[in-house]
Amino acid sequence: MSKSFGDVWIFGDYRDYFQNRITLQLIAKGKDLAEMLNTGTTVVLLGEQVHQYAMEYVAHGANTVMVAEHPKLKEYEVETYTTLLSQWVKSYRPEIFIAGATSFGREFFPRLAKRLRTGLSADCVDLEVDPKSLLLVQTTPAFGGELLAEVVTPDRRPQMATVHPGVFRELPHNSEAVGRIIYPDVDVFPEPRVKVIRSRPPIKGKVSLEDASVVIAGGMGLRSKEQFELLYELAELLEGEVGATRPAILSGWADEERLLGQTGKSVKAKLVISIGTSGALQFTTGIQGAETVIAINRDPDAPVFRIVDLGLVADAAAVLPILIETLRRRL
Amino acid sequence: MNIVVFIKQVPDVPNIRIDEQRMTIIREGVESIINPLDCVALQAALELREREGGRITVLSMGPPQSEEALREALAAGADKAILLTDSAFAGADTLATSHVLARAVSKLRPFPDLLLCGMQTIDSDTGHVGPQIAEELDLPQVCGVNEIHVDGDLLVLKRLSEGFLDTIRAPLPALLTVSKELCPVSDLSLGAVEAAFTQKDIIRWAAHDLGLHPDEVGLAGSATHVRKLRQPAARTGGRIVTGSPQSIVDALIRKLESMSILDEED
Ligand SMILES: Cc1cc2nc3c(=O)[nH]c(=O)nc-3n(C[C@H](O)[C@H](O)[C@H](O)COP(=O)(O)OP(=O)(O)OC[C@H]3O[C@@H](n4cnc5c(N)ncnc54)[C@H](O)[C@@H]3O)c2cc1C
Ligand SMILES: Cc1cc2nc3c(=O)[nH]c(=O)nc-3n(C[C@H](O)[C@H](O)[C@H](O)COP(=O)(O)OP(=O)(O)OC[C@H]3O[C@@H](n4cnc5c(N)ncnc54)[C@H](O)[C@@H]3O)c2cc1C
Repeated sequence: MSKSFGDVWIFGDYRDYFQNRITLQLIAKGKDLAEMLNTGTTVVLLGEQVHQYAMEYVAHGANTVMVAEHPKLKEYEVETYTTLLSQWVKSYRPEIFIAGATSFGREFFPRLAKRLRTGLSADCVDLEVDPKSLLLVQTTPAFGGELLAEVVTPDRRPQMATVHPGVFRELPHNSEAVGRIIYPDVDVFPEPRVKVIRSRPPIKGKVSLEDASVVIAGGMGLRSKEQFELLYELAELLEGEVGATRPAILSGWADEERLLGQTGKSVKAKLVISIGTSGALQFTTGIQGAETVIAINRDPDAPVFRIVDLGLVADAAAVLPILIETLRRRL
Repeated sequence: MNIVVFIKQVPDVPNIRIDEQRMTIIREGVESIINPLDCVALQAALELREREGGRITVLSMGPPQSEEALREALAAGADKAILLTDSAFAGADTLATSHVLARAVSKLRPFPDLLLCGMQTIDSDTGHVGPQIAEELDLPQVCGVNEIHVDGDLLVLKRLSEGFLDTIRAPLPALLTVSKELCPVSDLSLGAVEAAFTQKDIIRWAAHDLGLHPDEVGLAGSATHVRKLRQPAARTGGRIVTGSPQSIVDALIRKLESMSILDEED
């Protein structure tokens, strides 16, 4: 009686460390989804000399990695990738196809979905298979994160989604894991119309908020740049990183790369201490992946207290110096 | 250079309220605005027209009141405005939205050289529509552009991608989606709204004008379906502590100890 399903496919995004991490997160989630559908997890990987990534994807849980090795696939290029993957989808018929909501994922997946005449949801914060209908329920933020929409693609296949980085947790590396790595035939491609002629790497030292195990997040309640800078001392004492709300960044207290939330980064830290932030949804989506959230806010009714494990009602200006001093003495 | 700018009318999101019973947006009393990045695209189009000549057409698919957004665009200097409106268009996902918009473009004579979209909207925020119009019209696309230079029939573009600053070459015609860094919009003059009322007409196209069957547009032509809207789940079981700054610090230190982030003091 039971219907049989094609695999859950994951786009192998690997150009930098961050993109590779999101791929590993998606493999972990893909396995949950595949289990519900009694099917396998396949990563599709396009590029030149990408074998090492294929091995890594297997070690992180992929059942199969389908590799297209070709010098012309070296650069991420929307039209070439769309042409190749639409052919693969038509031949192999995956049930689900997901990609990280990285710059490239968000540029390329809409075009692929359109060519396949199927549905796509954007920047999802959750994915589940509905146990009754066996449809993929794609949860995506709408109206600046005030609401979450549950999107389904009832009839067309594959069911496609891009996923917000950091919302799922990767599986540990297992060098004994077994998987298939296959190399299907790759057609010749026309010259791409769009060419990246230069790509200058980021100048600033990358702040790895996504990987920090302790994150100190600051908001407008800190009142000044001087106060905000105390967070760096606190972060140093706890071996953490500093993140900020959008208004704090607009006030020039921190660089854009420290932005947390819907339009910024999502953390999966062990601990977030959020100080002087009201707890707007656009912000809290960025910290909700943490195991523990502690907030300091002087307003007992601040919405941020609705999402915390420990809420401290206090004036940040009074608490911060004492806290830093106490930690100094202890460490 | 003939330019098309795609404009979506959206609710002014920071001011929306939510009907918690019905899980919908309360639109009454909330102003409708042009999606902010579409204003950026329009401003960029005005600057390009200044340098390169040509005409600017603004296109919007939406309910009849989206006309206001198009009037504002005309007042700001667009040459021609087309409203794609039909009850059959309602409930469209991005696949169906891009289908209607692409079909409208394919009716324009001459075919435009440059098509500009916002990188995303502030309401449903998918960022799909630009690339999907490009796909249907078989045009090259570049997303998130923050600089546009025209060199004959070539474009030289810049955009940030995962922190990398890409310099990109693309031929015309092409579709670009723009980021807010492209240009400031403060100088988008909306003062002449009244003049727009009298001088320029808004063209209206319905499904049959575009040769579209009701089955390929709106909800019927959509692949996705919004099953439900809900509010994000709150964490529960949180403990709230009040007291003197010192007692607050003590509570925090105890928590750090219990998490083994700090060693217990002997
Ligand atoms: C489409 C859209 C996307 C957005 N994306 C993001 C995003 O990605 N990230 C983001 O952060 N925001 C985002 N925002 C903005 C977001 O809605 C909030 O406005 C923002 O997060 C609030 O920042 P805040 O908490 O620092 O400031 P406020 O809301 O001003 O809160 C300050 C808090 O500090 C408290 N406070 C004041 N003084 C003290 C004191 N002395 N001690 C302790 N507490 C004090 C106050 O009680 C208040 O709760 C977005 C908005 C929109 C519309
Ligand atoms: C809560 C909610 C969730 C949704 N989730 C999904 C989903 O997951 N997948 C999906 O396919 N659809 C979804 N939709 C439907 C989607 O919002 C509509 O298709 C919408 O018309 C276009 O999407 P967007 O606002 O995300 O546009 P974007 O793709 O973010 O828009 C980018 C640019 O395209 C242009 N543009 C977009 N719409 C128009 C228009 N109507 N007229 C002229 N130019 C336009 C503008 O230049 C705009 O800046 C959802 C709708 C709601 C209300």
